Order: sequence, then structure tokens, then C-alpha cells
Amino acid sequence: MVEEAGGIRVKVREFGGGIREVSLRRGVSVGELVKSLGYIIEEYVVAVGETVVTEDYLLNDGDEVVLYPVVSGG
Amino acid sequence: MANCSICGRQAIYVAKSGGLALCKKHFLEYFDRKVRKTIRKNKLFNKNDHIVVAVSGGKDSLSLLHYLVNLSKRARMGWRITALTIDEGVSGYRNYTVKRVKELSSTLGVELKIASFKDYFGYTLDEVVKIGKERGLPYLPCTYCGVFRRYLLNKVAREIDGMVLATAHHLDDVVQTYLMNIFSNNWSSIHKLTPSLTSVHKLFVRRAKPFYELLEKETTLYAILNGLYPSERVECPYAPLSFRWQVRKVLNYLEELRPGLKYSTMRSLMEATSLKNTALGEAMTCRVCGEPSSREICKACQLKAELGLLELRR
Repeated sequence: MVEEAGGIRVKVREFGGGIREVSLRRGVSVGELVKSLGYIIEEYVVAVGETVVTEDYLLNDGDEVVLYPVVSGG
Repeated sequence: MANCSICGRQAIYVAKSGGLALCKKHFLEYFDRKVRKTIRKNKLFNKNDHIVVAVSGGKDSLSLLHYLVNLSKRARMGWRITALTIDEGVSGYRNYTVKRVKELSSTLGVELKIASFKDYFGYTLDEVVKIGKERGLPYLPCTYCGVFRRYLLNKVAREIDGMVLATAHHLDDVVQTYLMNIFSNNWSSIHKLTPSLTSVHKLFVRRAKPFYELLEKETTLYAILNGLYPSERVECPYAPLSFRWQVRKVLNYLEELRPGLKYSTMRSLMEATSLKNTALGEAMTCRVCGEPSSREICKACQLKAELGLLELRR
């Protein structure tokens, strides 16, 4: 999932948490991104910008990915 | 990118077990169909019921309150709905979630009743946990919280004339509890894991779980789409200490490897129990407090005695 020539950069924000920028190769899906961050896709609803997307959504350069945790304590 | 299996628009959700992709509109219809089916099949509510909804302020219970209020209007059910929040007294946590419940209740125009551990038991959960530690009791905070919260939900729902107590337990909760009870060989609790629970005890308020057949991911999506997902992430500091937390992690990991595993575990539960409105097997009355119990002294009074907050006389 490392940056290659012609790679893309996306911002990833866990809801209620900070933002980090991630470099990816082109053609990476939301599901692959979540997995590469060490998370379980079952535990997140993912949006790109304001729109909820499915895990096969292919990311574009400059996308802002928002991770909504499904699991909450309380 | 998946497209909606029904209309071809961009999908926001894929029901992996059935391979159905759904856009926002068709996801909300799917959600509604599933809940209505659970309500109808298990006869959870009648027209003009006074439904007390247990609302913690988390995404699931806020969604349940929102859904039932809207369903009552749409389907002209004539329900009187009251939100009931238990304030356990966990500093830095419950004050945030109570605020959310107040806001949503006010927006939806429903009555809200807040009952606190402090008022009913004389101690907050933080104080109870501290006393338990000092006395060397073996319980995790979630044990006290679960026992006292269930006790209060029933008692207060009855005090405010509730006919049924609705909780936001979803399929993930039920499957987790099923496995936890298998691990501890607690079959009497497994038999209570039904969408509806009644008792012949006159002080027991009937229970209903309208989200019984929904995955937690689906209730989360409903919350996001309806603007109910909490804007600040505040979690109970005790939650990660619980056994449930570990079971949930393992189940989600396995579900990713084998999609549909939660549904098949649910089918296993259905095999293990007869799911037709199971009545509580025993309907005893706690000899200390007079509340319904499955034993001579209810779990809440037993814990209070162990904490030194109550003296039991033989």
C-alpha cells in the first residue's frame, strides 16, 4: 500500500479523532485502506466526504475518508 | 463501486450474506422492513401501548427512539412513547450522553425520565466500583452496572406506567451474549435471549427488542443517515474492561473472514431455544426488595449486600 510513482494521497479521519494523510497506490479500495490501517472493516462505516460508500469504492487523489466506528463502549 | 441492486444508484451498503447492494433510499426501506417484521412476527407492541424506550444516548438507543416515534406516526399506532435514561454516575461520560437524549427527546416531542443510581441506590457507579475494590470483590464494573441498570429499568418503567420496555439490543448484542453464556454454561440466561420476554410476575414489565434482527453496522448506518450519530466520541471508561468487549472483537474478526457468521450463530441460538415469546421460567419475588427475581434474593440485593450497602437478615 506504499506510495509509487503516480500514487495518490488521501486524508483519513476517524470520527471524533484526528486527521492523518496516507499515501497509496492508485486503484486502492476503501476496504483495502481500512485493512492496511490495521482495522476490521466490519467495525466501520466509511464515508468519502459526506457520502457513505461501500468497501469496493476506489479512492481518488485528495479524497477525505471518514471512518465511523460501529463499535462503541457504553 | 457497487450499485443498488434495486435501482442502480450508487450503493452505500452491501448486505454481504445475501449479496444485496442498497442505495440510501433502499437501505432505509430494508431497515424498516426488517424491524417491522420483527415487531409483527413477535407481537412486540399493540396499538396505543405506552412504550418506555431505554435510551442510553448511544447511537443504537437514539436510533430506536427515533425509529419508534416515526413508526408510530406513519403507521398510526397511537403509541405513547417515553424515553427512560439511567444515569449510572460515571464521571466524564454519562453527562455527555444524557445531553444527547435530552436534545433528541425534545426534538421528537417525547417525555423523558432520568433515573440515577445515586437517587435509587444512594451511590454512583464510580462509588460502587471503589467500594467493591476496597472489599476485594471479584466483579468487573460492568457487572454492577448491568445488574443495577436492568433492575432500575424495570422498576422505573413500571413506576411510570409503562406497558412494555423497548431496548435497542441488536443482532450483534444478542449473538455476543449467547456466546458469553455458552462459555459460562449459563443456559437459563440463553433462554431469555428472545425478541420479546414476558413473565407471570406482576411487577415485571414486558421486554421488546425491535432491532433484534439488525446488525450493529446497520443500526450505525441508520444513525448516520438520520443525523443521530454522536458528534463527539465519548465512551464509557469501563467498557474495554468487559468480557463482552473481547467477544465482540473476536466475532467481528471472524465475520470479516467468514461473512454471514453472525447470522448463522443467531440461527444456532434459535435452534437452542424455542423463540415464541418465552416466559421467564421462574417468577419469584426478591424477599428483600420485592422486585421480580429468578432467585430468593435478587442479584441487585445480593450485590448490595456484598458491597456492604445492605444488611441481609436470615
